Amino acid sequence: MSNKKNKNLNRRSFIKNIGVGFAGTIAAAPLLKSHAKKLPEEIKDSLDGKVEVTVYVNGRKFRRNIFPQTTLAQFIRDELNLTGTKVSCNHGECGSCTVLIGSDAVYSCQMLALDADQKFITTIEGLMKNDELGEVQKAFVDKDGLQCGFCTPGQIISAYALLKKNPAPSEEEIREAMSGNLCRCGAYPKIIESVDAAAKLLKK
Amino acid sequence: MKNADVINHVKGTSLFIDDFPAPEGVLHIAVFDSKIACGKITKLNYDKVLSVPGVAAVITAKDIPGENQIGNIVSDETILADGEVEYIGEPIAIVAADTVENAKAAANLIEIEFDELPAVTDPREAYEKGNLIAPPQTFSDGDVEKGFAESDVVIDGRVDIGGQEHLYLETQGAMAVPSEDGKIKIYSSTQSPTAVQRAAAKVLGVPMHKIETDVLRLGGGFGGKEDQATPWAVMTALVSRLTGKPAKLILSRQDDLRMTGKRHPYSADYKIGLSRDGEILAYEATYYQNAGACADLSTAILERTLFHATNSYFIPNVKTTGISCKTNLPPNTAFRGFGGPQGMFVMETAIYKAAEKLGVPAYEIQKKNLLKENDSLYYGQKAERVQAERCWNEAAEEFNLQEKFAAVKEFNEKNNLRKKGVALMPICFGISFTSSFLNQASALVHVYTDGSVGVSTAAVEMGQGVNEKIRSVVSQTFSISQEKVKMETTNTTRVANTSPTAASSGADLNGNAALLACNNILNRLKKFAAESLKEDDPAKVEIKNEKIFYDGKETGMNWESFINDAYFNRINLASHAFYATPEVYFDRTINKGRPFAYHVYGTAIITAEVDILRGVCEIESVDVVHDFGKSINRQVDLGQVEGAVVQGIGWLTMEELVQNDEGKLLSNSLSTYKIPDIFSAPKEMNVKFLEDSENPFGPLNSKAIGEPPFMYGIGAYFAIMNAMKEYNPNADKEIRAPLTHERVLMSLKNLK
Repeated sequence: MSNKKNKNLNRRSFIKNIGVGFAGTIAAAPLLKSHAKKLPEEIKDSLDGKVEVTVYVNGRKFRRNIFPQTTLAQFIRDELNLTGTKVSCNHGECGSCTVLIGSDAVYSCQMLALDADQKFITTIEGLMKNDELGEVQKAFVDKDGLQCGFCTPGQIISAYALLKKNPAPSEEEIREAMSGNLCRCGAYPKIIESVDAAAKLLKK
Repeated sequence: MKNADVINHVKGTSLFIDDFPAPEGVLHIAVFDSKIACGKITKLNYDKVLSVPGVAAVITAKDIPGENQIGNIVSDETILADGEVEYIGEPIAIVAADTVENAKAAANLIEIEFDELPAVTDPREAYEKGNLIAPPQTFSDGDVEKGFAESDVVIDGRVDIGGQEHLYLETQGAMAVPSEDGKIKIYSSTQSPTAVQRAAAKVLGVPMHKIETDVLRLGGGFGGKEDQATPWAVMTALVSRLTGKPAKLILSRQDDLRMTGKRHPYSADYKIGLSRDGEILAYEATYYQNAGACADLSTAILERTLFHATNSYFIPNVKTTGISCKTNLPPNTAFRGFGGPQGMFVMETAIYKAAEKLGVPAYEIQKKNLLKENDSLYYGQKAERVQAERCWNEAAEEFNLQEKFAAVKEFNEKNNLRKKGVALMPICFGISFTSSFLNQASALVHVYTDGSVGVSTAAVEMGQGVNEKIRSVVSQTFSISQEKVKMETTNTTRVANTSPTAASSGADLNGNAALLACNNILNRLKKFAAESLKEDDPAKVEIKNEKIFYDGKETGMNWESFINDAYFNRINLASHAFYATPEVYFDRTINKGRPFAYHVYGTAIITAEVDILRGVCEIESVDVVHDFGKSINRQVDLGQVEGAVVQGIGWLTMEELVQNDEGKLLSNSLSTYKIPDIFSAPKEMNVKFLEDSENPFGPLNSKAIGEPPFMYGIGAYFAIMNAMKEYNPNADKEIRAPLTHERVLMSLKNLK
C-alpha cells in the first residue's frame, strides 16, 4: 500500500470502516488477520497490512510502519514510547491526549497517525528545554496546577498552545482555551493561576 | 516544598500502569461481560475464540483454581459469573491474547444465551420485594415520638439523590508478572494493595505471601479504586497463573463506565420537628440505598450515612434507619464522603423545608442548631474541640455575609431574568474508619549510608498529596532537607496488611506510623551521638538542619558523615513502626461508641446565579472557612478543598447517571455524563484556614482533608434553589439531585 493511497482515507470512511474505540478494534482485527493470512510468512512480519508514516516529533524525525487504523495517540505512546501523552476516554471528550500539531492543540486519540504524516508534533516531553522545565511546566509546578497528574500533560499542552497564540489571555480566555481538558481532581482554580503565571514567565 | 511527583507529572515522565514498559510476551486481557441485568446463563461457548490467532487463554468460572469470590465485607461477589448474572457489565469470561485488539476481537466471538429475568433498578422497589444486602440498621437517641409531640412544627418529605461516577482519569488497570515458585507480582492502580493481594491469593488458591502488590501512584481514585480495583488486578494474576506469562488489563473508558460501581444513589424519607423559634427537637430519616448487585462496601457506607445524618447539628431526639437494597446495577461503592454526603444532604433538605414552613431563612435554623462543645452526638460520642460555631462566625465575618445578602437582594430586585441565591453549608465530618480495626498503619523507614532516606508506608498516592505530607513529617522529624527523603511505592512485601488509603485517613495513619519509625531511628542516633562525643545524655543531642548539636552547641558533625559513622558502628538505621488510632470503638449491639478520633469542621458560603430563560446555573463564589488543624502543607490542603468543592458541585448540579429500565447505563460516555469542566468551577473561591486549631490525633497536629470539603458542594444545590425561588416562589419543590440545568428550567416553569 502506498502512503498516498492511505492518506486518502477520510475521517468518514475511517469511522465507517474502522470506527473508534472498542467496537472499531473488534471490527478491524479480523479484517487485518484475513489480509495477513494471504501473505507469505516471510514478508508478513515486514508488512502485515502496515503502511509507512513519517512524523517529526519534538524536533526528531520518526519513520514507522504502522497499521492504518493506528491513532496518533497510540502511535505516540506505543511506537515512540512517549508515554507522557495519556489516553483516558479515547473519544475526544477529555483532553488527556492533547498534543500540538504545528501550533494547534489537538486530541491525538481523534486523529489517525497517518493523517499526521509529515507533520510537526510536540508532546509534553518536547516542552522541556534540555534538562530544564519549560515555562508552562514551571508555572504548573509553582502554582500547583495539578493533583494526580494524569490530565497534566494535556493541560500543559493546551496552555502552551493558548499562550503561543495569545500571550496575555484574560481569565475568560484561559477558561475558554482550557475547557477541552477535564481534570477530575478539580484543580481548575490552580490551573487558571498556572496558565496566568505561565503567561507572565513567557513574557520575561 | 514540592512533591517530586509534581516535577515528573509536568515533564510527562511519571508512570501510570499503562505507561510501564511491558515485559516480553505480555498478554492483554479483554473482559467479556453480561449484556443483561438479571438472568441465568444457559449457554456459554467459546470454541471460536480459541481459533483466533494470538489468543492464549479463555478463562471462565470453572477455570478458577481457588475460590471464585472477591467479596470484601460479604462473600457475595464472584470474579467471573457462575451460572447467573446480576448486572449489565458483570464479567463472565476473560480472554488473553497477544494484543488488545486480538483479545477484544476474540472476546466478541463468545456465544452466550441467557434466560432473562426482570431487572430491579429502584431501591424502594427492591426493598418492597425483600431484596436486601443486609438487614436494616437503626441508630437512635432520645425519643423521637416525644420530640415530635413537643414540636411546634413537624414536616416530612422525600429526597432522591443521584449517584456519581468516579471518572478517575486513569481507568482501572493492572499488570501481573509471574516469578519463580508460583509467585506473582501485581502492579495495580488500587487504593487497597492488601485487598488486591488477599483476593488474588483466594482466587488463585495460594497463600498471600505468593502475591505481591505494588502501587506506584493512581491517576485519581476518589474511592473508586478502594474495592473495585481488585477484580481487574485479580484477572491479571489469574491469567498470569494459568499461562505463566505476564498479563495486563487496562479498561477502556466505556468498559470502566459500564462495569464499575458508582457513588450510591439514595432515596430517603425524612421527618423533622422544630420549636417555633427554630430549635430542632426531633429528626427521623430512612435511607434506601441503591447498593447494586453485590455488597461491596455498601453496608459500611450506609453506616456512615447514619453517622452523618445530623451533620453539624445537635438534635436531642434522632432515629435513623439505613436499608441497603440489592438492585441489578453494578455494585455501587466508596466515593469521597462514603455515604456521609447523602446523609447530610437529607438533613439539609429537612432544614430547607422546615425554614420554608417557618418562614425564616434556612441559615437561621442552621446556625441556631450548630454543635457546641461537649454536645453528645447521637451515636454516643461526645463532641470535642468543636469548631462549628467558630467556622460559621468567621465565615460570616470574613466574607461579609450580610453585605453579600444585601448585594444579592439588590441584584434580584434589578434583574428579572437572572436571579441569585446564597446558601450556607456547615460541615462536621468524622475522621477514622468506622470499622475500627482498619485504623492501623505501618511504616518502614530506611536511612541509607549516604544519609538519604527511603520511606514505605501503606498510603497510596493518588494526587491527594499523602506522599508529600509523609515526606514532610519525615524530613521535619529528622530535620533534614526534603530532597533527602524518597517515598517508595506502596508494596505489600515491605508493608503488610495495609488498610485502604481511604476515609481521609491516609496521612493521619501513615504519617503517624512514619513519625514513630523516625523517632525509633532518631533515638538510636542520639544515643550513638552522645557516646561518640563521650557525653552522657542522649536527650541533649539535637539534629537541626542536618547538623548535630549537643546541649545547644554545634558538634561539627553533619547528617551525612554522622549516618556513615553510625553505620560503621553497627547502629540500626532502619525501623518499622506501627500505629493504631487510640480510643476508637463502636459497639454495634447498641450502635453507640466513639467511632471517630476527631471531627473536621468548616462552613462554606455559596452564591449561585441562575439564567431564568435557559435554566443555566453558575456558581459565582464559594467562600470557605475550614478547620485544617495545623496544616502540614497548605498548598496541598488548599488544592484538596478546591477540588472537593468542584466535585461536590458536580455531583449535585450536573453529573447525572441515567439507566434504562433494563439496567443499562445510558450516560455511558463523557459526552452524556458531564463532569465539571473549567467553566463549571466556581468563578471565585476563597478558602480561609481556621487559626489555632489543635488536633492531637493528627501527625504534627494536622487534620484529615480528603473528604470533608466535598460536602460544601451541598450548599450549591440550595443556593440554586434559593435563586429559583426569587423568580418563581412556587417552582417545583421536589428535592431531587442532581439539579441539572434541564431540571432547573423545568422546575422554574413548573413542567415535569
